[in-house]
Order: sequence, then structure tokens, then C-alpha cells
Amino acid sequence: MANEPIPQLSSQLPHPPGRALLLACGNTLRGDDGIGWRIGCAVAQRPPCEGLTVVFTQQLLPEHAEAVSAAEIVVFVDCSAVTAGGTISAVDIRPADSLPRILTHHLDPAALLRLALDLYSRTPARAVAVTVGGASFAVTDRLSKAVRSAVPRALDAVRAALLA
Amino acid sequence: MAQTITIDPVTRLEGHGRITLKTNDQGEVSEAYFSVTQVRGFEKFCEGRPYYEMPSLMARICGICPVSHLIASAKACEAIMSVEVPPTAAKLRRALNLAQMIQSHALSFFYLASPDLLLGMDADPAERNIFGVAKAHPELGRAGVGLRRFGQHMIELLGRKRIHPGWVIPGGVTQPLEQAKREEILALLPEAYANIKMALTAYKQIAGRFQDEVDSFANFPGPFMGMVSESGGLEFTDARLRMIDAEGLVLVDGLEAAGFDDCIGEAVEPYSYMKFPYLKSLGYPRGAYRVGPLARLNIASHAGTPLADIEVNEFKKLANGPVLGSFHYHHARLVEILHGLEAIERLFSDNSILDKHVRARAGVNRQEGAGIAEAPRGTLMHHYRVNDNGQITWANLVIATGQNNNAMNRGVLQTAQRFVKGDKLTNGMLNRVEAVIRTFDPCLSCSTHAYGEMPLAIELLAPDGSRLDQIQRP
Repeated sequence: MANEPIPQLSSQLPHPPGRALLLACGNTLRGDDGIGWRIGCAVAQRPPCEGLTVVFTQQLLPEHAEAVSAAEIVVFVDCSAVTAGGTISAVDIRPADSLPRILTHHLDPAALLRLALDLYSRTPARAVAVTVGGASFAVTDRLSKAVRSAVPRALDAVRAALLA
Repeated sequence: MAQTITIDPVTRLEGHGRITLKTNDQGEVSEAYFSVTQVRGFEKFCEGRPYYEMPSLMARICGICPVSHLIASAKACEAIMSVEVPPTAAKLRRALNLAQMIQSHALSFFYLASPDLLLGMDADPAERNIFGVAKAHPELGRAGVGLRRFGQHMIELLGRKRIHPGWVIPGGVTQPLEQAKREEILALLPEAYANIKMALTAYKQIAGRFQDEVDSFANFPGPFMGMVSESGGLEFTDARLRMIDAEGLVLVDGLEAAGFDDCIGEAVEPYSYMKFPYLKSLGYPRGAYRVGPLARLNIASHAGTPLADIEVNEFKKLANGPVLGSFHYHHARLVEILHGLEAIERLFSDNSILDKHVRARAGVNRQEGAGIAEAPRGTLMHHYRVNDNGQITWANLVIATGQNNNAMNRGVLQTAQRFVKGDKLTNGMLNRVEAVIRTFDPCLSCSTHAYGEMPLAIELLAPDGSRLDQIQRP
């Protein structure tokens, strides 16, 4: 699975929004940054829970706020550019107290929860960000060895977060 | 004492620009320049590539309006192929262009401009953004998110991708519309109508607070250019261009893509990479003109759809003749969104939209071709020449934002002269200088957007280079 071609995936937002939402983030053409989509792909093929919607996106956007607000649980899966290659982290996310001063067309998970709260007066009961540390962001659609070997553990972490 | 003020980068617009203001000995702004500091090079690096690659390649110019580039490029290729696209393909491309206009206008109005309009030009910059709008006016924030989502969702349904869909090709589109997608799009319309009606009502309630800005935001006489239907209504995809003067008299009519070069020249200025198009018969800079929503509403006699017709009538009452104040671009954008929804409903309610004949095929039958479409920001022209093998030998693009270049520069000067005074800078002062640019919704990079990632630093310098004042925006 780790280095199979990514199929045509949808970035369409669920309408009506689903109970569980997995936001798979990243860029499959920049090496390890494609790990979020690969995990999302695997979860979509074998969903661990009912009512799950997987949305594939390069980055988090204000347009995601409505779907986030309507879900009971939201899991973000993405590559981390700051942690060591292959390192897996699962962190509970709460709405940000303050927001970026200027919109830059993309958001981090906490800011997206804040926007969901301000716009729709609701946030999920639980939100978790699962990240996998990237080792290479070269122009390629293949994962580095370190990240490739982390895929099973990352998949377990996402499934566990969705089932919590 | 003469001084120079630099705003670099200008925020809340697409791409990177810089504003330079020069003051005279009395502390009044005497000169203003809006510089675009990036170069793209698409016209050069496409040389040697096959013409049929152009739509998908050229669409990469822009992440906001790739559909307009797709369509203008495909039409230029179809001129080279000497083919007419099947009627249903033309309708589908028209619908796609309208969907893009809706999502782009929603981005411009709700995400970029509404913080100024709803929270005030002098509001704390920490709050003057989409998050501030979400907190203070959540219903309008939701409307903006909803309209943008509608346009993007429709683009993805038709073209399989929200950004850079590959569906539009020379000769038509790759696949016909499926019934299920048609029904899904029609089902989304009621919510979209409710959102735009709310926004129009809210805008009309607050517009009166900005009379100073209406008077001084690029408010001057000059020509307008835009596409117009045969009946004189709004049109974005398949029609000819018309240019009118400040009194509404027609300067040019029935202009087709093939004649664009004969009519429109492109000047250059040393301070910017962006070109300065102008009407050749009037010369430069007198022949500089405006394009985009304000121009289109000034040129069209009506919208051509019932609800938007009412709004266009009301819009035209803002002036006795063409509406000259560029602040009204905001209003025009909302009217165009309403028209776009109605036009999409009309197109998708007709069963012919499901016709399976959506592509004409041909090879190179002419060595030169041009295509035009209305992008959200205004008229867009692609012009190519090819060799016998169909490889591009020369390309020229006239981008909508470029056609507003002269007007943006004039607007910056006019606004700065009204609001920037003395040797002390305030955020509200400088925000208005940026806001006049935002009324045009320029797309400078037309691809990636990184505003806000760089700090904004404005320095007020004395002629000897000493710093009189500075504002730093984190």
C-alpha cells in the first residue's frame, strides 16, 4: 500500500456531513507529504466505523468548517515537517483561543475548530491530529523508507482515534 | 519634505504586490505606484509544446480562476483547429465558468473584502479578517463559506477536481453530464440563493457608511470593456466584447478574439512586471480601461435572468450613466453571483444539458488562434501561433488583472491623496490604500497565495534616508 499509486480521490465535502470525519491532508507529489492521503485511502477501503467520510485535501480550508462542526469525531492525518522521519504522534485538538491575524488560505486543525465554533456554534466531541514525521519532501510520489515502515502504525493510530 | 512610503507586501489579495507612495514638501502624496514584483514566464516556456496541451498547462497559471484559463485556452486551440464545439459542450463550459465566478467572487467578497466592510477600515488589524467576521457576523461568514463551497463543489462534480480540472479540452469537454450530478447541482441551488440574497441585503445596509471610500477609491471617468450577449445582457463565456466610454457611448463593439490584438495594445512601465493594456485608438495611457464586474454591469443593459435583472436596474441607479467608482466592484460581484446561480439553474433545467455529443475533433487547420472568456476579474485573452506540427511557436496572454493595472495605479494615488497625510502613518490610512486594490480583486500570482506569510513593513523615509515612522504588521 505504501507506494502504490494514489487513485482518483474526492475532496468533496459530505453533504449532509457525516458522523465521523477523516481529513487526509498533504501533497502526494512531494514524497512523505503524501502519507496523509495514503492513510486516508487505506481507511476508506476498510472503514473502522460506520458513518465515516474521508476527505482528501492539500490543506485545511475554511470550507471544511461546516463538515467539522457537524461531526461527532474528527481525525486529521498529515505529515509533520518538524518531527523525525517515521515518528507518529496522536494529539487531542481543542479550538484555538486565538486565531492567525491574517487568513493565509490554509488553517491548522485548532484554528479550523475555532472557525467551526464561531460560524456554526459547534465542535466535535473529539478531535485528534495524527501526524507522521517526514524524512523527505522531494518531488516524487514515493514515500521514504522511514515513513514507509511507519505506515502500519500510523494506520493503527488513525483507526484507534476514530474508534475512541 | 519629500518622502517615500512603501507598503510591501500588499495583503489580502492574490499574489504579491508593492505600493510606493511619494510625498512632496507639503507632506501630500504626489506620486503612487502599484508594482507587481513577480514574473511567471508561461508565455515563454510553453513554446515547443503541442497546442492541445495548452489548456491544462495554462490553467496552472491560476488556482482561483483556472477554469477561465482553460476556456480561453481551449477556444484559442479551437480557432487553430477551425472547429465549433457542440452546443451541449458550450453550455457545460458556460456553467463551469459561472461556478468558478461564484466561488471566486465569494472568496473576494467574504474572505478578503468583508473584514473591511463589516468591521470597518479602522478596525484592529488583529480582528479585521475572516475570523473577525465569523465572530461578529457568523451568518454572513456561513453565507460566504456556503457560496464558495457551492462553486467549488460544482466545479469538482463537473471537472472531477476543484482546482485545475482537466475536463475542458480543445473541441469541448471530455465527458457528458450525468443525470445524478445534474440533480445534485440543482438541489444545492436553494441554499445558495438564500446566501446571496442575505449578502446583498447586508451589503446595501452597510454601503452607505463608506461614502468617503466610494468617492476616492479609483473613482474617475474612463472606458470599460467586457463581454456582452447578443441581446446586450451579461455573458461570461461565448460572446463578443464591447467597450464603452465614461458616458456610456460605445467605443468598440463586436470585438472578437481574432481582432483583439488589432484593437488593444500593451504598454510597459519600469516599476512593474504587469503590463498596461490600452485601447490603441485612444493611445496610452488615455486608452487604459477597466474590466471585471463593474465594467460588465456598466456595459450590459440587463442581466438576462429575472432576479439579477432587478439588481442590475438598482445598480444602474447609483449613477447617471456608467458607475465610475471602483468601490462598487463589491456590489457588482454580488449581483453577478446571483446572476450566475440563475444562469446555472436555467442551463441545468434544460434536458439538452445531458446530450452525449460534447466533443469535436480536428487537427491543425490554421497556424494562429485566439480565444476570450470572462474571468471573475475581467476579460481574459489567450493567443497562440503554431507550426505545421502543432507546436506552439509564440503565445501571448492578456490577463484580466493587467487590464485594470492603470486603474489600480490611479486608484492608489487618488486614495492616498485623500487618506495619507503628514509624516505619521496609521493602520487605517494604509489599509485604505490596500483596500482600493482589493476592490479590483487582483490576481497577481494567479496561482499560489502566500499573503500574510511575510511581515508587512511600511517605512516613512526622509529624503536623507532617515526613518521618520514605521509600521510593522506581524
